[in-house]
Amino acid sequence: MSIMEYNGGSVIAMVGKECVAIASDLRLGNQALGISSNFQKIFPVTDRIYLGLPGLATDVTTLQELFRFRVNMYTIKEEREIQPETFAHLVSSTLYERRFGPYFIEPVIAGLSQTPSGGFKPFIAATDLIGCLNFAKDFVVAGTASSKLFGVAEGLWEPDLEPEDLFETISQTLMNAVDRDAYSGWGCVVHVITKDKIITRTLKGRMD
Amino acid sequence: METSFALTGKGYVIIASDTTAARSIVKMKIDEDKVKALGPHLLMAHSGEPGDTLQFAEYVERNIRLYNIRHNYSLSPSAAASWVRRSLAESLRSRHPYSVNLLLGGYDVPAKEPHLYWIDYLGTMSEVPFGAHGYGSYFALSLLDRYHNPDASLEEGIATLKRCIDEVAKRLIVSPSKYTVKVVDKDGVREIEV
Amino acid sequence: MSRSYDRALTVFSPDGHLFQVEYALEAVKKGTCAVGVRGADVVVLGVEKKSILQLQDPRTVRKVVMLDDHICFAFAGLTADGRVLIDKARVECQSHRLTVEDPVTVEYITRHIAGIQQRYTQSGGVRPFGISTLIVGFDPYDTKPRLYQTEPSGIYSAWKANAIGRSSKTVREFLEKNHRDDLTREEAIKLTVKSLLEVVQTGAKNIEISVMESYGKITHLDLTQIEAIVAEIEREKEAEAERKRSRLAATAAGQAAMTQRAGDAGPSQ
Repeated sequence: MSIMEYNGGSVIAMVGKECVAIASDLRLGNQALGISSNFQKIFPVTDRIYLGLPGLATDVTTLQELFRFRVNMYTIKEEREIQPETFAHLVSSTLYERRFGPYFIEPVIAGLSQTPSGGFKPFIAATDLIGCLNFAKDFVVAGTASSKLFGVAEGLWEPDLEPEDLFETISQTLMNAVDRDAYSGWGCVVHVITKDKIITRTLKGRMD
Repeated sequence: METSFALTGKGYVIIASDTTAARSIVKMKIDEDKVKALGPHLLMAHSGEPGDTLQFAEYVERNIRLYNIRHNYSLSPSAAASWVRRSLAESLRSRHPYSVNLLLGGYDVPAKEPHLYWIDYLGTMSEVPFGAHGYGSYFALSLLDRYHNPDASLEEGIATLKRCIDEVAKRLIVSPSKYTVKVVDKDGVREIEV
Repeated sequence: MSRSYDRALTVFSPDGHLFQVEYALEAVKKGTCAVGVRGADVVVLGVEKKSILQLQDPRTVRKVVMLDDHICFAFAGLTADGRVLIDKARVECQSHRLTVEDPVTVEYITRHIAGIQQRYTQSGGVRPFGISTLIVGFDPYDTKPRLYQTEPSGIYSAWKANAIGRSSKTVREFLEKNHRDDLTREEAIKLTVKSLLEVVQTGAKNIEISVMESYGKITHLDLTQIEAIVAEIEREKEAEAERKRSRLAATAAGQAAMTQRAGDAGPSQ
């Protein structure tokens, strides 16, 4: 039994055309036993950054609280919103602080970063449980279904998808991947971040 | 074996826990109350490592009381649950962690809503319509999936709880013989007979 | 090393005084007055309330607080110091319940508070608490009302009735004259108000009264109740003054009549 698989759960993020999407399942389990079908693993950080925290559920809550605190302190001290790149490094250094007794979480970050010209650039990143950053141009995956997610995403993803198409792609990828994973599933939630709005939808899934 | 159930209904939370205190295969006591009233509208069932359970429950009780005296009002169920969860999460990575699993139910008086939280010894917390700990959970959860109704009256809620207790008595080889059942609603906390 | 001498603020003066502690007592004397009165089976706490500013919220200015279900606490002196001590005492009340399952006794929590106050006269880098306290309440499983006092030095003592803060000497002398052991609830409340009126000129609106009747049973009187008591006291004073006046008038009249008679008798002789 691995601690990373104790509660189950998966997260995926994808880049689209001037938009990004992040999605997760809703299961909370105790190994094979399901406890909750409404356990959120994705949290808003700012209006344009979302953070996914798959892994050990106690650390999901602890880290969510810790990042909320650190981002609030950043916003107050700097008098500006944190940018996705900065936030990714905040996540990385926070996890590395616990290098020899880590939080059992592999975070996924999705957001739109502001360009000097005033436009928005899609940004996604993921780290391992001790904060090693992985910036990607297409998609990032994490959680108990990560191997399956890689396969489906590799097949379905294509560049420059519009928000609605990106929604369809990420939804299909996640739903089909978690159906092959015993520890993920029980419904999904999808957020598509565009420059002027967030589209959040909850998906019904197989309850087995 | 130790078993506890809890479920919400229309304006109430019912929490039930078995009354045995066991050591290895021996029942040391059969009338242990493992559902603690933490305040006028807050209940907590605790199970796990004997010693840790009571010690932690009393620690929580006193801190919640201290909050009442300091601030002159009660913590909401969600705030109390967050505090308890954090205490367990911090304890988990300490030199001697508490091994305590909890079901924390309360009635939020200003919002007029019942809330139930499932919390384990790791500090995992989830708000749930119903929850269970121990071996009984393997039987009770599937029954509750089928019969739980968030708008059920108290009588219906108790009937659903009885199904769980009966099923555990029927199928679990080491089933407990007696339960304490407590309800929290707008009128506060009270114990009921089932 | 010279540092070892100036580490502590509270050091003896050559003639054996701890100046900082004496200064703390001065701060207490500047604080608003608080009175505690023990009756036969009741204990009353009364405090002088500073008149609050027009736009201030009166509920945020509290001088009488609960330490636990059965212990009530008032202080005179620096309010900020009081708050810190109150918090420490509240934690101890819960901690005591946690470790021995029983609530604290009034004497225990008094001793604890006095212990903290003493510690702050002997450790380095701190100053004493600028407050005296009155602690009232009932011990668990007991019906005897209790009243204790602590001082910045860490002295604590039990009392039948006592006052701390501004003009406490006057009030204590008043209490010494008027206190009896068998005061009823109403008498004890009245005595408290009466003694406070010795120093509070502005009347009912600047008085706060809390009454403890038994373990965990406490009532804070509201303004109208206090006003009624003050009015009653005023009436009694008025009646007393009236009686005095009429007696004076009677003696004066008697004397006048006597001189008159003497005058009348005079010429006839």
